[in-house]
Amino acid sequence: MDKLTRRLRDDADNIQVVVSDELDRRITASLHAVEPLPERAVRPGPSASFWWASTIAGVAAAAALVAVVNWRAPAPVPVETGQAVDLVAVVPDIDWKVESAMLTSPLQKELDDLQADLKKAEEKVKQDIGF
Amino acid sequence: MHSYRERLLRFLLTRSMNFADAEDALQDTLISAFRYIGSYDPRWRFSTWLYRIAIRNAAKARTSDVVPFSEVCDEDSDPLLQCIADAETENLWVSARRLLNDEVFAAMWLRYAEDMSVNDIASALDRSASWTKVNLMRGRRVLDEEMNRAVSESEAYG
Repeated sequence: MDKLTRRLRDDADNIQVVVSDELDRRITASLHAVEPLPERAVRPGPSASFWWASTIAGVAAAAALVAVVNWRAPAPVPVETGQAVDLVAVVPDIDWKVESAMLTSPLQKELDDLQADLKKAEEKVKQDIGF
Repeated sequence: MHSYRERLLRFLLTRSMNFADAEDALQDTLISAFRYIGSYDPRWRFSTWLYRIAIRNAAKARTSDVVPFSEVCDEDSDPLLQCIADAETENLWVSARRLLNDEVFAAMWLRYAEDMSVNDIASALDRSASWTKVNLMRGRRVLDEEMNRAVSESEAYG
């Protein structure tokens, strides 16, 4: 128990109150004069079944609303679409090879240069060792 | 209910301007409790229910008294001061009555004088548990400062 708690308890105990005999008699007389009201059933708290029932009722109400809205809405007017379009035929044929060539040509050039450098170096080494 | 009379009177005395008002509030509280005993919910502690009625009665009696305690009560007429045994330091509940509002005072009283749990206090005050916790902490901080101030003052004056 900390200092403040102890102090508050001690100070509360230091408030000395006595119910006088006169007040006691007065209260007792008052209590005899009144009648307790008839017992009222204590309302139980909302149970799990209550929540389930309200959930189901909510879902049912939502479904009913959707059904009513759809029922009242005008029927969709059929639209003449003609012949179905072949999407494969519509999509333009892209020359993918051109694009890949554009993308890979700098690398190919780099590879050729490296191979040429390698060949030169190989020849030089052969010359050096007198092969 | 007989055993609660003095405890309730002690609490009501801290909320009343004079002894007669506290006695009337006690009588009203006990009559209300007796009359509505049928509506008592045994899930609550009986003392919590009694204090709930007492707090309402005290608040009802105080609605006409808009003047704060510190301005009205002098040492001769203040019923609380008359019931406090002589002590070297000022009773902290007198400071609490001056520094805290009615609800926070009641929460502090129920916690530290009646040793009630936070949930019981929340039920008695018809407040949430979080409100009760926050205001108990605020009340503690205020009274802690007041206690330390009083101690340092008394040390300064010897």
